[in-house]
Amino acid sequence: MADAASLPDASGGTTPAPAGHPAGGDSGGGILAWLTSPERRGPLLVAPAIIVLFVMNIFPLLWSFGLSFFNYRANRQTEPDFVGFRNFERVLTDDDVWERFQTTALIVGSSVLLQLIIGFLLALLFARQFPMRRILMMLVLTPMMLSFVSVGVFFKLYYEPTFGLVSYVVNVFTDTPFALLSTAEGALAGIIIADAWMWSPFVMLLVLAGLVSVPKYLYEAAEIDRASPWRRFSTITFPYIKSLLLLAVLFRTIETFKIFDIIYIITNGGPGTATESIAVNIYRVAFQNFRTSQSAALGYIILFIVIVLTNLYLYSVNRRQQETI
Amino acid sequence: MARRHDIGQAGWGQSVLAFAVGIVYFFPVLWIILTAFKTRPDALATPPKLFFTPTLDNFRAVFFRQSSTGGGGEATDFVLYFFNSIFIAGTAVLLAVIIGTLAAYAFSRHPLRGNDTYLFIILTTRMMPPIIVIIPIFLMFRVTGLAGGYWGILLLYTAFNIPFSIWLVKSFFDELNPEIEDAARMDGATDWRVFFGVCLPQVVAGLAATFVFGLILTWNEFLFALLLTGVETRTVPVAMARTLGGNVGADYGLLAAIVTLFLIPIFFVTFLLQNQLLRGVTFGTVKK
Amino acid sequence: MSIELRGATKRYGALTAVDAIDLDIADGQVLCLLGPSGCGKTTTLRMIAGLEGVNEGSVSIGGTVVNELSARERNVAMSFQFYALYPSLTVADNLAFPLHAEGLSGAQIADRVAEVSRVLQLGDILDRRPGQLAEGEKQRVAVGRSIVRDPTCFLFDEPLSRLDVQLREEMRGEIKEVLQGLSKPTVIVTHDQLEALTMADRIAVMRAGRIEQVDTPHEVFANPANLFVAGFIGTPQMNLLEGSYEGPAQVGHSRFALMDGQSLTIDVGTLPHELASGTPVVLGMRPRNLEIVSEAHEDCLTTRIDLIEPMGAETLAHLSVGDTGLRLVTDWRRTLAEGERVHARVPAGTAHVFADEKLLTARHRVDAPHGHEASATKGARA
Repeated sequence: MADAASLPDASGGTTPAPAGHPAGGDSGGGILAWLTSPERRGPLLVAPAIIVLFVMNIFPLLWSFGLSFFNYRANRQTEPDFVGFRNFERVLTDDDVWERFQTTALIVGSSVLLQLIIGFLLALLFARQFPMRRILMMLVLTPMMLSFVSVGVFFKLYYEPTFGLVSYVVNVFTDTPFALLSTAEGALAGIIIADAWMWSPFVMLLVLAGLVSVPKYLYEAAEIDRASPWRRFSTITFPYIKSLLLLAVLFRTIETFKIFDIIYIITNGGPGTATESIAVNIYRVAFQNFRTSQSAALGYIILFIVIVLTNLYLYSVNRRQQETI
Repeated sequence: MARRHDIGQAGWGQSVLAFAVGIVYFFPVLWIILTAFKTRPDALATPPKLFFTPTLDNFRAVFFRQSSTGGGGEATDFVLYFFNSIFIAGTAVLLAVIIGTLAAYAFSRHPLRGNDTYLFIILTTRMMPPIIVIIPIFLMFRVTGLAGGYWGILLLYTAFNIPFSIWLVKSFFDELNPEIEDAARMDGATDWRVFFGVCLPQVVAGLAATFVFGLILTWNEFLFALLLTGVETRTVPVAMARTLGGNVGADYGLLAAIVTLFLIPIFFVTFLLQNQLLRGVTFGTVKK
Repeated sequence: MSIELRGATKRYGALTAVDAIDLDIADGQVLCLLGPSGCGKTTTLRMIAGLEGVNEGSVSIGGTVVNELSARERNVAMSFQFYALYPSLTVADNLAFPLHAEGLSGAQIADRVAEVSRVLQLGDILDRRPGQLAEGEKQRVAVGRSIVRDPTCFLFDEPLSRLDVQLREEMRGEIKEVLQGLSKPTVIVTHDQLEALTMADRIAVMRAGRIEQVDTPHEVFANPANLFVAGFIGTPQMNLLEGSYEGPAQVGHSRFALMDGQSLTIDVGTLPHELASGTPVVLGMRPRNLEIVSEAHEDCLTTRIDLIEPMGAETLAHLSVGDTGLRLVTDWRRTLAEGERVHARVPAGTAHVFADEKLLTARHRVDAPHGHEASATKGARA
């Protein structure tokens, strides 16, 4: 990567402005030249992105950080008072909040685990060529391409006790109508299944990338060496997919943590609050209960977790790029 | 001897199994597509009907409302919603790709001290739960009058897509051969020339892929659209969610038609972009 | 435990990669499959290994036809061109890997690994991973993984092709020593004739899926069966001059007319009776056999020096005879100048005569020191 400072002088402005040189009276050309000079080129190009991100992301983040220290409520006109860490305290000691965390953890854990297993099995199936493999793989990838809303709407239909597909199938074995979403466990299962179904193909893609990248001659050598199938897998295959599996787990964990749309549509957090994830909870607290500051505090705790996870993710990405076998 | 990673042939058993699993996995989607062609009673029939006489009514209903006096139809609001979705998502992603490409080029070719830190922060903004920024943004929009209009949500979606664009396009730039750029410089090309004439043409395919992936993500977005669009600017996902809450009960046929319509271009485009798929879904952090 | 191929053929769709070849490799013998890329040598090796199927013909190991057996069942050892070392295992574990299938105890495995590591001097790198090894080290580990076993035969695919020149010299000697210690049939595939000439007991020169000649290194060099082998073996390449046979000259000599009008009367040994005057032939002369003399004779060619390449102890001179180029290697002390006209003498018994691409003047055989007879077929199949 070329270093900006070592580039030949570009035909920018009329006045090159080396350090210490008096700018003279040529202020128009001077500023433009200053702006587009090689050293500033990098920052100049990045500037629009930073500005937009700042206004739309960073600034609101800071504002909400500030908000969390007051007791602002969006539906009231009163002046908010500074309350320091009270919101954080309240949130961290609130049993309900911990319950939401548990629910979220349960959903995230189960879904990601399912995705790992299903994704891995799918990758194994698709690791070899067979007629129509391309088309079939596209079909398997479609769940990922649907919007959460679409999946939510239709899985809700599938879970419908009277005319849903799932209920129908279950009815073949039992006589009573099957309402999956009426129990806490059922509702959780319903959501987990929908989410895992949607995203297992993602894991499949990653694992497949690993499987395909194993050089053929390693398998031939193993054949010559008369290695058992298990040994073949653990010595040759697994090391190639190990790092990708880790990436998949981290990535899906970060994403599933945010889960909102599907829950909102299918159960709206119900029955009761059985499937209310953290995100749904924040939404409710902020927009239905209008406890704006409190939800901000909760949001910040989530943010912290996400930052830690993202750090882990990027660390693994780097590690993987370095260990090119 | 070329080191080609051809994948081997699968035996009969594996092929058949893969086929069966593929179909079963796709079944829920298939059902949606089938439902799009069903009449209302068929769609909600017990037991669920696999065979039925197809109808195009749902597709028609997406665009036209049957006027009570019979004959011809007026356009439903869905035309507006489609337009909104396409316009908002398309413009936002386009802006994001442009801004993102410039930034990606800078990160790739003019790395600063702390490059990795900046990139990390940028990726984090994408990964954080939207729910965290929703409150202040909602307030911001209310205060500045952006709520319910096009520009607010458009700018927001642009911001959403920038991190993803940067990471993805940067990965494309990183793969270019720097020797070509050096040669161009030695031939006297200015930096702008190098960017527009040498680097950009090589990544055009990647930019297209970035645009498409961004489009898919943005077009499906729900939460912010729910809170920040008004009646005039409503997007399709929000409209879909709203039809659920009616007292008549959801018109699943209509919804299925919408999903199917949405699915076709995405399907087609994913087929074309197969090679970049892995890169796209992992935001450019993983390439084959 | 010998290896036999009878009419072995391999096709990929319309392409015939290996065309009905016959080959015998006796126990303890080292055979090199030598040829340019694409000649089918690697495919032949893989057919013996069981990594490629056989479309026609048979492959036998130890007298048993193994066509239907998988590579695993054949119990062969193979060293790959890209080494195929398991990246996640240490060198020691890589060496031990094939032994797990033999049902040995942990102690026995450790013993064998230690033995091999001693022979190939791998002691220092036993704990490293392949990613941390140098090319030469990787090569030795790959060889080690083969010899740690007790297989039916040893197969090597381009073992030295990835090493630089100096390393190659070292490894050639090492491998030859190791191979001499084993008593199993060994097949080495290479495109480097120097490797073949030094390491093999017999060389099979291949082209386009067929065997052009199978013989000891000396014979392949001294009596190449046809033009292809003649041009392939020997560096610098043998000079091949087109001309025609004129007839017998004085005792033992034959006269040839060359394309540029020159005539050459040399002793080429006994030519077949039926060779008619005027038959087009190709004369083969090795660069080192030619001598530069001061006076013209009937056994000399008049040439002009185009280019002189000093090669250290020798000098390679590029000469021209009319339109044809000629290479001559002489001692470095001889002073030559470009543009000079010199006479190149063809000493008696050094030139080869080819008609219809085949060698006419087979010389007296010198058998290889170990007494392994070349029992397989010679020459191209129709």
